[in-house]
Amino acid sequence: MSQLIPAIGFGLITASILAIAAVGFTLQFSVTNILNLAYGDIMTACAFAAYVANQAGVNIWICLVIASLFGAVFSFLLNRLVYFQFVRRGTKLFGMIIVTIAMSLIIQNVLLAIFRPTFFSYHASQGPSYTFGSMVFTASQLAIIGIAALAMLAVHLLSTRTKLGKAMRATATNPGLARSCGVATDRVIDAAWLVSGALCGIAGVAVVLNTATFSEGTGATFLVPIIAAAVLGGIGQPYGAMLGAITIGLASEIAASVINPSYKDVVAFGILIVVLLVRPQGILSEVAAAKEVAA
Amino acid sequence: MSNAMQFYISTLLIYLFIDIIGVLGLNLQFGVAGIINFAYIAFVGVGAYTAAVLSLGPDHPDNFQHYLFGANLPFPLPIIAAGAASGILSLLVGVISLRRLRSDYQAMVMLVLSLIATLVASNATGLVNGPAGLATIPWPLFDQLGLSPVDYQWVYAGWAGLLAVLTFLFVQRITNSPLGRTLRAMRDNDRAGAALGKSITGLRLMIFVVGGVIAGVCGAVFVEFIQAWSPGSWLYPETFVFFAAILVGGTANNWGAMVGALLVPVGFLEATRFLPQIFYQGFIEAMQWVCVGLLILLFLWFRPSGLFPERPGRFRPRAEAVSRPSE
Repeated sequence: MSQLIPAIGFGLITASILAIAAVGFTLQFSVTNILNLAYGDIMTACAFAAYVANQAGVNIWICLVIASLFGAVFSFLLNRLVYFQFVRRGTKLFGMIIVTIAMSLIIQNVLLAIFRPTFFSYHASQGPSYTFGSMVFTASQLAIIGIAALAMLAVHLLSTRTKLGKAMRATATNPGLARSCGVATDRVIDAAWLVSGALCGIAGVAVVLNTATFSEGTGATFLVPIIAAAVLGGIGQPYGAMLGAITIGLASEIAASVINPSYKDVVAFGILIVVLLVRPQGILSEVAAAKEVAA
Repeated sequence: MSNAMQFYISTLLIYLFIDIIGVLGLNLQFGVAGIINFAYIAFVGVGAYTAAVLSLGPDHPDNFQHYLFGANLPFPLPIIAAGAASGILSLLVGVISLRRLRSDYQAMVMLVLSLIATLVASNATGLVNGPAGLATIPWPLFDQLGLSPVDYQWVYAGWAGLLAVLTFLFVQRITNSPLGRTLRAMRDNDRAGAALGKSITGLRLMIFVVGGVIAGVCGAVFVEFIQAWSPGSWLYPETFVFFAAILVGGTANNWGAMVGALLVPVGFLEATRFLPQIFYQGFIEAMQWVCVGLLILLFLWFRPSGLFPERPGRFRPRAEAVSRPSE
């Protein structure tokens, strides 16, 4: 029991980071229908963007904003210059997955070639520690939780209160119908890449702040729990992804403290398998079901 | 020929034959049947580990490496066991992931499976000696044959070549059989296939297992030659080398897949072996992966069906259809 409560604390932090990343991943997938397996590597690229800024003496929280902007622009360009071109040329679903994997290999290894194979960390103080019962959080960990909560609120407001959000949901459910109702789906898709990239950037820096060091493979490894969280929630469902992130985050950290820290991702994967067996469409699944019919 | 040159050429030949076996297995799964197996290299890995532990002999507490299921089986048995182990694992994975799932979900699950498999192999140190991996796996029949290492390599190349030819004949036989036609129909339109009464799940599962067995044999023949195996040898990007070979050579064309195996894995190895180390250790390898990625993109863009596209089915016209009405 004495281990369990601190584990829940860690779980909350992991869940926060996962939620940011998984919501970005699932939002972009639902709107664009491209399974972007380079997502983890975009995270790494954002972490490196923040690293470069940080080395130049910029405060880490401003670096977070820089990484977020970098992620937005990077994702946008990646879609416009690569993915969209392939889609327009008629590359099918499977072909697009291969294209994203190829991009993942390219991004990861270009980063490796530029920054060399070592571990990096930010110049950032963790701030004072705060104790809640037997959970201990550093100031920066609390900030991560706060940022995640803000990001989730922002995504919620975006998708329910703004015209763009409604257009995104319409495009996700039925692009053809959305287009004939006057939704500029190409612009919506651009917006989805920008939003997802921004979330990706925040998540990339948050991961590094939490784990202290990173290398060119950090994002790719983090893709496992992201996918698990997104699939658990029903892919294309932002609220499902939040729920999935909390489940995966808590479960994997508790497993890490009870069993063995190396098995965090294995637990995430185990949950993923069970969900796929029992409920392949995820917990919340209207859009996924609609897509199945369309596909 | 000098000794070093003989070593080099026979090694390349062995790599080529092993890569051909691997690429043919994946081509059967992906090219012919349309199953997206992003965990292919994990099945190669399982085969390799199986062959390794079954030829290393029982584990001993004083040993420098520790593993389960150690045994000292005579020559062809470890390879057969490797194929069987990989096939059984394929069956388990296939039963879970091939049903009901959309193909992009399947692709994701496979990719994650590959990541997790390396994670487990590295962390469960008692299983297959963790991150250090297994080493000193004996060359099969080396003592019995009594050959010099160079001559032995040539013999091994012949053995790998024989297996590659057998694999090719087997895969080609399936591809050109009525079963192969059914598989291609399933790949192109699974609903139509199901409507014609074909068991789509059953067919997919069968090909998944057959491909898994080929992957296992590929891993076994590889590990018995290189004599060492660790989680670093089968990281998930390796699967995409095989995919790149197929995309370059020609999806669903077994001749093309063999050309792809010659060009991508072996070509890259040979082309980069003599490059000097520039900048720092590991730079060339990073660039190799960038090139694999670019190669995939370029082929998908300019020549999506590969150098040797799948030949469209030819049906011998029936006599009455050909003979024109009497003039």
